[in-house]
Amino acid sequence: MTKFSKLTISSVLLALLICIPAIIILSYIFTPSSEIWLHLKETVLKDYIFNSLYIMIGVGLMTTAIGFTTAYITTMYKFSFSGFFHYALILPFAIPTYIVAFIYAGMFDMTGTVTTFILNLFGKKISEIEFYNIMSIEGAIIVMSLVLYPYVYLITKTYLRAESASVIDAAKTLGLNSWQIFYRVVLPLSRPAIVAGAILAIMEAVSDFGVVDYYGVSTFVTGIFRTWFGMGSVEDASKLAAMLMTFIFLLIFLERFQRRNTKYKSSGKDFKPISKIKLTGSKNIFAFLTCFMPFFFGFLLPFIQMCFWFSISYEEIIDEDFFILLKQTLFIAVGTAVLITTLALLFVYNARRTKTKTTDNITQVAKLGYSIPGAVIAVGILIAFSFFDNSIIYIFETYFDINPGLIVGGTVAAVVFGYTVRFIAIAINNYESGFSKIPTTYDDAIKTLHVSEKRGFTTVFAPLLKNATFAAFIMVFIEIIKELPLTMILRPFNFDTLAVRSYELTQQGQVVESSVPSMFIVFLGIISVLLLAKNMSKD
Amino acid sequence: MLKKVILKSILGICILGSSLLASGEVNVYSHRHYDTDKQLFKMFEEKTGIKVNVVKAKASALIKRMESEGKNSPADVLITVDAGNLFQAKSKNVLQPIHSEVLNKNIPANLRDKDNQWFGLTKRARVALLSFDEAKKSDIKTYEDLADPKNKGKVVIRSSNNIYNQSLMAAVIEHHGEAYALAWAKGVVANMARKPQGNDRAQVVSVANGIGSIAIANTYYIGKMVDNKKEDQRAAIKKVKVFFPTFKDGGTHINVSGAGVAKFAPNKANAVKFIEFLASADAQELFAKGNYEYPVLAGIKSSDLVTSWGTFKADTISMNALGLNNKAAIKIFDKAGWK
Repeated sequence: MTKFSKLTISSVLLALLICIPAIIILSYIFTPSSEIWLHLKETVLKDYIFNSLYIMIGVGLMTTAIGFTTAYITTMYKFSFSGFFHYALILPFAIPTYIVAFIYAGMFDMTGTVTTFILNLFGKKISEIEFYNIMSIEGAIIVMSLVLYPYVYLITKTYLRAESASVIDAAKTLGLNSWQIFYRVVLPLSRPAIVAGAILAIMEAVSDFGVVDYYGVSTFVTGIFRTWFGMGSVEDASKLAAMLMTFIFLLIFLERFQRRNTKYKSSGKDFKPISKIKLTGSKNIFAFLTCFMPFFFGFLLPFIQMCFWFSISYEEIIDEDFFILLKQTLFIAVGTAVLITTLALLFVYNARRTKTKTTDNITQVAKLGYSIPGAVIAVGILIAFSFFDNSIIYIFETYFDINPGLIVGGTVAAVVFGYTVRFIAIAINNYESGFSKIPTTYDDAIKTLHVSEKRGFTTVFAPLLKNATFAAFIMVFIEIIKELPLTMILRPFNFDTLAVRSYELTQQGQVVESSVPSMFIVFLGIISVLLLAKNMSKD
Repeated sequence: MLKKVILKSILGICILGSSLLASGEVNVYSHRHYDTDKQLFKMFEEKTGIKVNVVKAKASALIKRMESEGKNSPADVLITVDAGNLFQAKSKNVLQPIHSEVLNKNIPANLRDKDNQWFGLTKRARVALLSFDEAKKSDIKTYEDLADPKNKGKVVIRSSNNIYNQSLMAAVIEHHGEAYALAWAKGVVANMARKPQGNDRAQVVSVANGIGSIAIANTYYIGKMVDNKKEDQRAAIKKVKVFFPTFKDGGTHINVSGAGVAKFAPNKANAVKFIEFLASADAQELFAKGNYEYPVLAGIKSSDLVTSWGTFKADTISMNALGLNNKAAIKIFDKAGWK
């Protein structure tokens, strides 16, 4: 028996802590079937399963197609505006999904501005034409993919830049043409990165409520809310959530199982930058369009609409209170993003140095929270925290005869913990991809040279992981400023964020005004994204 | 190192947060997101010197939070937007009965809980918005007519995830029983001009653009559309007519926004004062003006815009029934395939 290191012990404890809310929810799976559950099974459960699977597959394929193609093109080729697209392709990430969904419905649904304009142009009525309604499950998939593809783009691109030059040279020497290089070398090589990105996109898509509710698609998440809010059954709602989690878990492990025999760790003998090929003529136009479309539909179009709304309503919305909530948002987002990034590094580094299945599985377990809707996690946390608080209160009352009141419940700590549970997966996936680029020979070298572990980490790994750290931080930061349901349920008194304010305004029917707080979210998002892209290009 | 600093600062924030809960305050858990409420709270603070602290979230989440916080919950007052939610709160045992002359006098009996655990503060009606052509016919008079085959292809209404539809269905159950309600739901689904999508306002826009001719929406949304920065919303509301359907054996379906005092309220006296304030003439006037809702206090006039839609006979079924029937309502939606 080897002695467990401090690092392993602490990561086990932390993983446990992080998955407590998930475990609480999962535990409901074993409660006996209620009559509500039987009713769900008879009527709507099939729909929930089918629609959620459809969204998983649809978003998985679409984000991979868009994200990987654009990452590949911008890494390998020089074409018109390729420098610009390097940054621009990440931008959709900065806009909250539900806002894009809202704007797209306003343009392209049966009564949308674009639809009516075109109908008027041809003097037709909606009933006379074959109309594809965006307010459908396919519409939801398209909208979500347009906003979520940057996950695949970012992670794959970071990977390609570091990995591919030498392999491609080798492939060229062997006489492969560029198409063969693409699908026989680059595609299989990028698989771990693609999967890491696509899984994040899928998890985010299946836990979405705003888009599917507005577009009238019933999924596990709408079911969870109906069952919980409408039928008052947290148990059955949690059962649905547990089923959803099982789906995601199966997905993660299936992928891992399938790639079990393939070693993807880099040999990394010679890092060298990719020499980009300059494209001309029709190839140039094709590359430009391939990159322009996702940028245009995922960012530019909704952004223009937001700018217009912002310009007619900012004076009314920006007041003293607005600055307070801006400060609160920034404060909590930066603080929590630092915390989450640090914790994720701990998990992944530990898995790397011990190279055991167990530590790797611990890391996978810590990711669970990302696939669960924020509101459900919040309930898990409410239950866990009240248990903790009440125990402390009990001890204090019994032994000291004082009641200290709630210690963690209803404080910022609850919100911070909630974000950690929900978003640590993003940071972990970034680090996993980052570590897989570092050749295992480095680990061996550290050992042979008898360098202390601490020193090995700070002098070898830390500098090599700078990019992954930065990417993890920024992605988590953006997710936090966009987060809504969990913040609302767990927050302390008088605590508002930009996302909450934007939601409140839409609820009041003030969609135009809601663009003001959203614009700040987007603005912060854009700054972060640009920093991220700049960091990537330094590489 | 960094981690320690963060952990310490988080701990600091928590301690700071809990020490802020001093006296001279009232802690409100609210489901209402309207800016009018912000003004109301300010008014209360100025009047009484009692500070109002607010957490806003969905009612069910707030109720769950109160439940799990138990006797240590800092909440004094719970405000929700639907009688169903108030009923939930009562049945989860997170409210306490309040004996207040003011509230009993100001609020009609059918708009408050029979055990005085919650009090309705504003009313809203769920009405039909008809295209002008439709308004000339008389195919729709009652909620029951929504399911009549003569209205095939005319009805646009949002998804059954929404509490307002759930309460409407709860009222149908209360009037006619579950068997009728299921048949009714199937009838409405068969009459839909498109599958349920969008919010209440989107239904109105749909009718204004010739998709369907009967939209179902809550009254205050109509006000919100008239006073809106979006061109299409203002244009749409001009192309429809407000109509108050009734139940065959009753009136127009209404619902309330209301409040109750938390079971373990640390500032109970302030909490009662706060709810009494919300039922007072000043506050009721602001509800009516600012948010296009119907006041519960007799003698307070609705806003001019709201009055222009005409008067109506409100249904008199108890608000309790809406909560009681909510679960059955959802099951019927599921069985009828109302998305």
